[in-house]
Amino acid sequence: MLTRLQNIDRRVLYLLIAAVIAVPLLQRPRRHPGIVFSEVRNAYNTLDRVPKGKIVILSTVWGPGTRAENEPQTRALMTHLFQNGTRFVVLSWDQLGSQLTYDDGAEIAKRMGKRYGTDWGHLGYNPGPMYAIIRGMGKNFAGVFKVDRFGKKLKDIPLTSHVRDHRDIGAVAEITPSGTVSAWIAYFNQPYNVPLIFCPTAVMSAEAYPYLDSGQLSGMLNGVIGAAQYETLIGMGDQPTDAAASAWALSSAHIFIILLIILGNIGYALTRRKPRAAGGTRIG
Amino acid sequence: MPSPAANPVPQEGPELVDWLNANAKSIVIWCGALSTFAIYSVLFAENRFYRVFEHIFIGLAAGFGVYITWSQVLAPKWWQPMVDKGHWYWAFAAVLGSMFYFMYSGRHAWVSRVIFGLFMGLSAGLMFRDLYEIYFPQMGASMKPIVGGSIGVWESINTVIFYVILLSCMTYFFFSFEHGNRVIRRTAAAGRWFLMIGFGAIFGATVMGRMTLFIGRVNFLVNEWRPSVTSAWQHTAFRVVVIAALLACAFLVYRSVSSRRKSPPAA
Repeated sequence: MLTRLQNIDRRVLYLLIAAVIAVPLLQRPRRHPGIVFSEVRNAYNTLDRVPKGKIVILSTVWGPGTRAENEPQTRALMTHLFQNGTRFVVLSWDQLGSQLTYDDGAEIAKRMGKRYGTDWGHLGYNPGPMYAIIRGMGKNFAGVFKVDRFGKKLKDIPLTSHVRDHRDIGAVAEITPSGTVSAWIAYFNQPYNVPLIFCPTAVMSAEAYPYLDSGQLSGMLNGVIGAAQYETLIGMGDQPTDAAASAWALSSAHIFIILLIILGNIGYALTRRKPRAAGGTRIG
Repeated sequence: MPSPAANPVPQEGPELVDWLNANAKSIVIWCGALSTFAIYSVLFAENRFYRVFEHIFIGLAAGFGVYITWSQVLAPKWWQPMVDKGHWYWAFAAVLGSMFYFMYSGRHAWVSRVIFGLFMGLSAGLMFRDLYEIYFPQMGASMKPIVGGSIGVWESINTVIFYVILLSCMTYFFFSFEHGNRVIRRTAAAGRWFLMIGFGAIFGATVMGRMTLFIGRVNFLVNEWRPSVTSAWQHTAFRVVVIAALLACAFLVYRSVSSRRKSPPAA
């Protein structure tokens, strides 16, 4: 019995975790996390203070692989910007993510009565190199980006017709599953002092705290939990969103994993305390 | 939400297109659900079902990538300016880009090394910029005052903890001399502990991230696919197909488990 606790078939554990996760997702609770991290609040304040004449850049590096984490972040930021009437453009550095981010923007814009080309825009997929595009954009926005994702000239679009360089950009949000934020820090945030918000997957978040500490990052949304907290700040705290359901599912999964670790360790400790049978094997 | 089983599939060409248009969302959801199950089936055991869908995904992503790269990058930013607007100098981009492909030639591989060397030099140069813009501000931010001005008690305590950890970790990375001194040795040991705690935090965040990705798929199955199943369940044909699929899965699981029991244990 005790050794069984340490040798539970992994497939049984997978099924149990799937069941534990499915319950909050089925329920879709309206309640969002009560705690809001300071870095999430700082991100909110940064976007809140963007002057009306300036645009915000949402730089999205994510694709289908990390959609579960980065999409709620993208949607939360888009909703906030639409609420404030702050205009924004989306850059995508992922081929598949380019379509996903456009669909997100189009759906939220439709729901909130906003217009493409006036309130928001999408510059399509950019293959990089990131540093070259970011550096060029800071000096001459129209020189780097000439058309949007539909091939329409940016000078003919009301949203972007006035954007010359970094002076017309109020903030940048980097939504990414990889270490691309350093390019924005080195070639945009530091030279031009434009606020930078980092929205990484949870895997990346621990490494970002030194940048927050040094002021190179103005705020951060830590994975899907950060997205759920951001939704609380923008007044969606009573809506059954994907981010809120995911936050509860994540908490349930973590509690379950901790219980499994405790069970496994109890089994291990009790097995060690059991007296060895006479004539038992000894290795080494 | 309509399901593919809700409407009979027409045989005529234009009608089939109309049917596909009318049921596009349902078809996408069912394909997504089938792909999810196929990919996660590898958790039970390596199988062909998983392999087929893995290859389908790679093929689709590569094909879509080629389309997006042409339609959103090469056509508007390179081909059209070169051909339609007479910006002939863009032709040199193709020459430089094609140099990469000489790596596949044994005889002319040196051509690719020229362009690779160019990019390596560029990257090395960029690192200087990274060092200046990324790490120097962090060094400056590390020099924090402990007391004075508007600094509160908790902020002072935080700063002291920060300095203790910073100095301990830096001591651990002194490899130029032996850690013979007792104070140095113990400080380095503390630094190692702090690093381990840091790695533990990173690992915890990794578990959280991976779990979120799984939650994304379960959320899709629970909140998007389940309503389609509920709708389709009203049709007898669908129920027969589902029961047959479940029986087939059960048989495959049984065969896999029984063959594992029969096979001799590994030495």
